[in-house]
Formats: sequence, structure tokens, C-alpha cells
Amino acid sequence: MEDVLDEIVSSEDLQKFEKVFHEQLHRGTVTHKAQFEYAWCLVRSKYPTDIRKGILLLKELFNSHPEGKRDYLFYLAIGNARIKEYNKALHYVKSFLEIEPANQQVLTLERQITKRMEKEGLIGIAHWALLMNALLGVHYLFAKKKQIKED
Amino acid sequence: MSRCDIKVVLLGSEHVGKTSLVLRYVNCRFNADIPYQNTVGAAFCAKTVRAGDKDFNIGIWDTAGSERYEAMTKIYYRGAHAAIICYEPSSVASWNRLRHWLQELRTVEEDCKVYLCGTKKDLLDSGYVSREVSQDIVATYSQGLCGHFLTSSKTGENVDELFQKIADDCAADLKLMKEVEDLRVQLAKDEAAYRVKNNNYCIC
Repeated sequence: MEDVLDEIVSSEDLQKFEKVFHEQLHRGTVTHKAQFEYAWCLVRSKYPTDIRKGILLLKELFNSHPEGKRDYLFYLAIGNARIKEYNKALHYVKSFLEIEPANQQVLTLERQITKRMEKEGLIGIAHWALLMNALLGVHYLFAKKKQIKED
Repeated sequence: MSRCDIKVVLLGSEHVGKTSLVLRYVNCRFNADIPYQNTVGAAFCAKTVRAGDKDFNIGIWDTAGSERYEAMTKIYYRGAHAAIICYEPSSVASWNRLRHWLQELRTVEEDCKVYLCGTKKDLLDSGYVSREVSQDIVATYSQGLCGHFLTSSKTGENVDELFQKIADDCAADLKLMKEVEDLRVQLAKDEAAYRVKNNNYCIC
């Protein structure tokens, strides 16, 4: 299902907001708006390094601009979930819910994150099981070969 | 990953009830106990709808009305097949912003089908608020658009009708239907390719 965690920023958009951010950085003062919009593009990038950079910018905003707290928490959760840092993502979700306990958007995000954790956890277990099976199979074949030779 | 056939985007000023409209349509419910929460950026919902003799997956981007997000929400207009612009009949301010939303939309997506939606009909009917935007003005303005609906997310009145009209109009649009069909074919190809690629790495 297509959702906010799968959504990918277009490179034109990323470049557009990156340009504004860098211009302001060059001039010496970056507005909260420019930094937020750039960070918002970065956490929706397909590259984990971009996402990590976006997370850093959002953390900086979170500490310097309390009025925008809920926005920063929301995208910190999304960014972390996208690089599979699910526990961190859930931590930000909880912080958000402390401010607004019944927020539907964030409750939906929480469900999406836990669903991913379960899915990937199960896939992980399934791969281990297959690997173990394969190893046991090889072991069995060797044992059998050895037995045949000995016979 | 399944993709949406029809992309719908919701626009309108803060607090007119865009999120409530989507939640009523998708979940068939309205929760009066939840206080107002402004949407962060944009939220996504999807529902399957039948139009003509086909099922369509309709994806709805519910954008934040707050001006703070304007540069961001514009990005969600891209590729939209239909747009619902919401206003409150009891708020002239929300109606005056309508033109602005329409302009913003047209700069990004010229061919998008546009529907007007007056929200909170139950409050008008019960006399709790009075109408400030005259019906004549609404009728004149909506002539050039695809339709106008007066909805109540609380009672559900006209909500399904609005989205059904969008689906029916899209189903009748041959160009759009070709696009949907091409996308489905492409998606099936991609999925087949993905399966082949993954099989190569499988240890079994």
C-alpha cells in the first residue's frame, strides 16, 4: 500500500529547497521555514544519507524552535522509520502523542511502523529458518557420503 | 506495492473539515469527541470504489490547510486527477481563499477535475451557524467546474455522492482510463521483473 513512509521526493523538489537553504546559509541566517522545508525533502529521499542529514536538521530545529515541535517530531518519526530505526521512530511517535494523545495521523503512523517491524521481523526469522534448513541439508549429505565411503 | 488508479487531492483553508471529510468517506465514521488537530504536511488514505463495471483504487491526499505548509502541500497537487476544494458556507474568509487554492492548483495541474465542497451542512441545517456565502455566488462560480456538493461529515450526507461522482467522471474520461490501464500493465511488468530478480538470490 502506498503511504507516507513510501513516498519519495522528486529530485527537482529536493534541489529547489536545497538551493534556498544553501543560499540562506551562505548569507549567514537560515529561517526555520527554509530549514524545515529542506529537512522535509531530505527525510523523503530514497538515499539513507539524505535521510540522516534531514534527521540532524530536524533535531536542530526541535531544540531551537519550540513552536514547531509537533512538525519536527512527526518528520523525525518518519525519517527514522524510513532508515529502519523503528525504535527511535516509535520514541518520537510517543513524544508526539504526549502533546496530542488522540492525533489520528500519528496513530496511523504508529500502526504503519509496528506493521513494518512485524513484517521485517518475520521475514528475518524466515530467512534464518531457511538458512538453518540448508545447512542441515548439507550436513546430512556429507554425513551420508561419509557413511557410503565407510560402507 | 499496489498503486492508486485515481489520485484525488483535498485543498482548502484551515479548519474547514478536509480531514473529517476523508475520514467519513474512508472509515464511515465521525468522532465528535476528538478536538481539532491541524494536519501535519499531508495525510494519505485509500479506498476501492466501483464505477461503471470496474473497481478503482482511489488514493486521497489530504493536505494541511495551514499557510505554514503551503510550499510543501503544493507538491501533492502534481499528478492529481481530481481536486476537492473545501470551504465553509458560514465563513466568507474560507470562500475568499477558494480562488487562491484554485490558482495554486492550476499552476501545477492544469487538467485536473475540480469539485467544490461546502462542509458542515449539519450546522447550517440545525441553525447553529448561518450561511454567509450566498447560494447564487456558489452556483455561478461552480459552473466552470465539475460539480458542487454540500456535505456533512457528521451525518455522512452527500459524502459518498461526492466521491462517487469523481469516480464516475474519471471512469468516463477515456484519456484518463488509458493512463490507468497503462499504469496497471506497467505495474504488473515491474512486479514480474521483481519476482524474477528475487528468485535469483533465493537460497531455496
